Amino acid sequence: MSAPVLFVIVGKNEPLFEAEIDTHSSVGAPGQNDLSTRQNYFVLHSALDLVEKSAWTTNSMYLRVVDKVNHQQVSTFLTAANVKFMLLHGGKGEEVVKNFFNEVYGYYVKLSMNPFYKYDTPITSKAFEARVRAAARAYLS
Amino acid sequence: MSSKSQASQAGQALWSKMPKANAELFALTYGSLVTELVRDYEDPIEVNAQLDRIGHSIGVRCVDEFLSKADVAGMGMATQCQNLRDTAEVVAKIGFKMFLGIQAEVGGFSQDQRSFSIYLHDNPLSTFVELPPGDESSGGDDLSRLKYSNLYCGVIRGALEQVNLKVECNIVRDTLKGDEMNEIRVELKEVLADGAGDDYKEE
Repeated sequence: MSAPVLFVIVGKNEPLFEAEIDTHSSVGAPGQNDLSTRQNYFVLHSALDLVEKSAWTTNSMYLRVVDKVNHQQVSTFLTAANVKFMLLHGGKGEEVVKNFFNEVYGYYVKLSMNPFYKYDTPITSKAFEARVRAAARAYLS
Repeated sequence: MSSKSQASQAGQALWSKMPKANAELFALTYGSLVTELVRDYEDPIEVNAQLDRIGHSIGVRCVDEFLSKADVAGMGMATQCQNLRDTAEVVAKIGFKMFLGIQAEVGGFSQDQRSFSIYLHDNPLSTFVELPPGDESSGGDDLSRLKYSNLYCGVIRGALEQVNLKVECNIVRDTLKGDEMNEIRVELKEVLADGAGDDYKEE
């Protein structure tokens, strides 16, 4: 039973979207206890500095694994406008994570075309969340 | 009666001759217009009224273009519509097709033949649009009363006004609110007398 993955979208000042996705159950995971959830968020956010660093080393959008903590890895994808998609996972393959990020990027672009969505604000669309969870289940399980 | 397919063919032919614009640009421009209006007026009902007004100005100009192009193409549309049913067909099959490239359908004729509905399966104005979920906490306006495509109502009203038909239009079903298709209800209020006003009446 693999641990849930944590997917966060970080804008310039604040997180825009967070989802804890359990790829093996049919609903979004309330299974984990609060402590490890909080720890996961902490790990993810502390990896932000490393994201900045590795952004300079490559000119592709996918930054692969930027940080490794215990048995977990943080992979990042940087959009053209410096919005960071970060995934905390327990060692998924790089290709797999890259495909997941590309799919979510597509949904993110469609979302930003919505005139009612103000750029760099928290994402409240239920449709977007459903799509991200579906993509996670499709690519990451 | 092959008038229905005649109308469709006419619509298709006219559409192919019209200059085209990028659909995404069109949708994004309209989206910015609506969000600006929402920011300025706040109240969704007021925004609907503004969209209707803007649509009215557009419709008044569209109908001239339509009549001139249809005549030139010799579609035989120079012959007048005999009744409201013909008008409805012309608006939906030729008008919507020519200006937007979409196939609209008519139906829902009332008993007294004074109102009808236009059904749109795809709405090019609302590509990518999702109405934001209502926030109970924020003092924000509830956009569920916003009629995003109210422009169409204004356009139809303006266009038919120029040909002496005073109508009232409403959007009754909207895909943005969860319905399967968009429906615009058009009701004929009165047929205006052809007139240039009292000043020009001969003594």
